[in-house]
Amino acid sequence: MEKVTYTEAKKELETIVSAIESGELDVDALTEKVKRASELIAFCKQKLTRTDKELQKILDDIA
Amino acid sequence: MNESSLTLSELNRQVKDAIRDRLPETYWMRAETSDVRRNRNGHCYLEFVEKDTVTQSIIAKARGVIWANIFQMLSAYFESETGEQLSSGISVLVRVSVEFHELYGYSLTVVDIDPSFTVGEIVRNRQLVLRQLEEEGVLALNRELYLPELVNRIAVISSPTAAGYEDFCNQLTNNPARFVFYTKLFPAIMQGERSEASIIEALEKVFHYRELFDAVAIIRGGGASSDLSCFDSYLLATNVAQFPLPVISGIGHERDITVLDIVAHTRAKTPTAVAEFFIAHLTKTATELINLEERAVSESESRLMKEQSDLFSLSRELVYQSSLMLQREVAAVQQLSGKVRYGVRRLLQDQFHILENRAQFMQMVSPANILKRGYTLTLKNGKIVTSLQDLSVHDIIETCFRDGVSTSVIMQVVPEKPQEGD
Repeated sequence: MEKVTYTEAKKELETIVSAIESGELDVDALTEKVKRASELIAFCKQKLTRTDKELQKILDDIA
Repeated sequence: MNESSLTLSELNRQVKDAIRDRLPETYWMRAETSDVRRNRNGHCYLEFVEKDTVTQSIIAKARGVIWANIFQMLSAYFESETGEQLSSGISVLVRVSVEFHELYGYSLTVVDIDPSFTVGEIVRNRQLVLRQLEEEGVLALNRELYLPELVNRIAVISSPTAAGYEDFCNQLTNNPARFVFYTKLFPAIMQGERSEASIIEALEKVFHYRELFDAVAIIRGGGASSDLSCFDSYLLATNVAQFPLPVISGIGHERDITVLDIVAHTRAKTPTAVAEFFIAHLTKTATELINLEERAVSESESRLMKEQSDLFSLSRELVYQSSLMLQREVAAVQQLSGKVRYGVRRLLQDQFHILENRAQFMQMVSPANILKRGYTLTLKNGKIVTSLQDLSVHDIIETCFRDGVSTSVIMQVVPEKPQEGD
């Protein structure tokens, strides 16, 4: 996953879901979109629930 | 030596007498408290000051004392009425007796206090500060900041030892959904005269690291002591209002809404409530995410199922149509083959007929048949003679009959006379 913020990821996800719901995608495009959507969802879930050790260390190091 | 001179103590005693004579009663006096402190006997010593309303410079000042027994009574009453500790920087209306002591000089002894005046002053002061912030256009700045969906990096401004801080951290850490939160404490003094500067200093430090945080929590445990005056301070308020990150306040005060609470992005009552706010916000964020996920999954699943059933019916149609076509072709071929068979038979029959006719004809025209009908065949030297020109007188010829051969000698040859125009 490239470097995106949660908000950016969520926005992209919303766009994808709307596109999926529009029913205008062919099966190939749909598969592609679903794949991207699951990547984005995994990314967002990770942001919500998994500790970023690097960030934790940076914060701990603030004197 | 001048007869009329006095010692200092004699003079001071006269001042003391004069004051007692001239100002014998107690008086209600409005002033601001300053430098309030208690000694170990429980007596409270303080300064009363009056400031110029415009320049804020001190224009009058007097020492004051509240004796321990009075202080106990008054401070409890004052706190319960105002929600404020009787401390420095508060506008008060007190009933005082005017004292003059030969050694300690002029001072005011407090005998009563009117908390409603202080309440009014606090409210008035808040309104003044709020009006000023509004005029400067900063009042709503922090409130209008967008709180991002993911808020889990929190700069905490608190006293490190406060129970409220611990509650806050515990609440966040033990959130039931297991959301991850990052907190960083920026210690500050949260009570008393030094708190305003201390909190502003902490804010400045957070500002320096603002890229690392999503929000700021200014929290303070509740408890009995509730000196809120610093949270009504203009300087703190203008700092918070203009802070680039959303500020969530939780300064543990149930009754009043301080200026800080008003300028903050969100006001919670206690540190625990601030933690709950962050948890609720992430819960909302997570719910939105899960909803999106469900929408994506259900929609794409039903789409794929539809595609599959489309495909199924298409393939069924294909099989049906192709078998139909095949049947039609087979029928057509069968029909054709029937036609062919019939045609061939007809053809063969025709041929057969022709052959039969021809055989009959052949039979009919066979020499034997012709001989039967009375014709004869003439041979000379074994060769059929068809013209008189082949014959001369004395030639020996054989004449074939139906039932035998005769041999003759030509006696005469009489050619047929050629006909006219032949």
